[in-house]
Amino acid sequence: MPEFDLDSFKKTWQQQPVQEKYDNTEILQMLNKKSRNYVKYIFWISVVELLFFSGIGLFYIIKGDESNSFLRLLERLGAQKTPEIIANFDTIYFAIKLLSLLVTAYFVFKFYQNYHKIKIEENLKGFITRIIKFKKTVNAFILISIAILLVFIMTFTAFIFYALNSQNIEPKSSDLMIVIAIIIVSTILCVLLIWLYYKLVYGIIIRKLDKNLKQLKDIDSHKI
Amino acid sequence: MQINYISSLGSKEKEFAQLIKDNQGLIIKVSRLYTNSLEDEEDLFQEIVLQLWRSYGSFKGNSKISTWMYRVALNTAITLFRKKSKSPLTNELDINLKDFVEDDDEKQQQISLLYTVIKTLPNIERAIVMMYLDDLPYKDIAENLGITEVNARVKMNRLKKTLKEKMEKYA
Repeated sequence: MPEFDLDSFKKTWQQQPVQEKYDNTEILQMLNKKSRNYVKYIFWISVVELLFFSGIGLFYIIKGDESNSFLRLLERLGAQKTPEIIANFDTIYFAIKLLSLLVTAYFVFKFYQNYHKIKIEENLKGFITRIIKFKKTVNAFILISIAILLVFIMTFTAFIFYALNSQNIEPKSSDLMIVIAIIIVSTILCVLLIWLYYKLVYGIIIRKLDKNLKQLKDIDSHKI
Repeated sequence: MQINYISSLGSKEKEFAQLIKDNQGLIIKVSRLYTNSLEDEEDLFQEIVLQLWRSYGSFKGNSKISTWMYRVALNTAITLFRKKSKSPLTNELDINLKDFVEDDDEKQQQISLLYTVIKTLPNIERAIVMMYLDDLPYKDIAENLGITEVNARVKMNRLKKTLKEKMEKYA
């Protein structure tokens, strides 16, 4: 090799054949890749949630502990554990559990649909529309989960009064106050915990999606 | 409002894709210089494209497209691969001769050898050499790396000597 001189090498360097690796479609796919991953994470988190809560639900339905502890609470307030009360409670409990699992399953399906629809060849315009739609689905999931919890608590509160009423029992006002206070405090705590959970788990991913969305919006407002 | 920006995206995205397609040689070169495997090279290419897309909206055309692309590409490469690895090729003993021995064409062999040798340099120096080889003015080199023009010149002069020694050693 002759004596090396970097300056005389410039031309060779600049003319080096660089094989074009990607076409326009592939370049646009790269922009979608990260957001697609975020949507995928949300889908998998929701699947884990469904499996987890289904598992817990089935476990308690088989074991029957949850209904026992609720019936024990009724007994403390002076109600009798009649077969009618147990049967009614079991029906309501099963219905709400089923509703909750069905709703989660529905959202898992929606998340899967969202993930599936974000196809590699889809253009950015369609992709943004999907992100916006996907965010709405996530928000709906969060709000409906909280709503189900509230329905759950309100139904059982109503059931307490129904059980006491049907047996003509007037609990001591101090006992009743304690139960009501526990219900209110636990409701607030549960809603807060659920809110916090979703904001942390889903919030982080949604924020990243938001960032992508904002960049896309910026493109429209800036001129090169 | 949303419909407005969505409907106007088509042309911007196409424009951007075309820009990347036309200038992908630059990104490929940066990716090749800062990685040691084909897989990492492709990852870096994609990361650079993403970063370019992110800053595309705020690029106002005050500098040349190539200068802007260099700045974003090199910053991405340096930041990303500083985190990711300690860059095994900075160790001269690790120079992989396969890179250039397999090339038939003499010029291609020289280029491959030059890549290998540049990869032995620290990250910033790699960037300086690359921009110099691509004929960017010292002003732009300095601006892209956040150093003074004089500093860029001094560094480049030293690098020319270093590269000469290394090239002659490995040729």
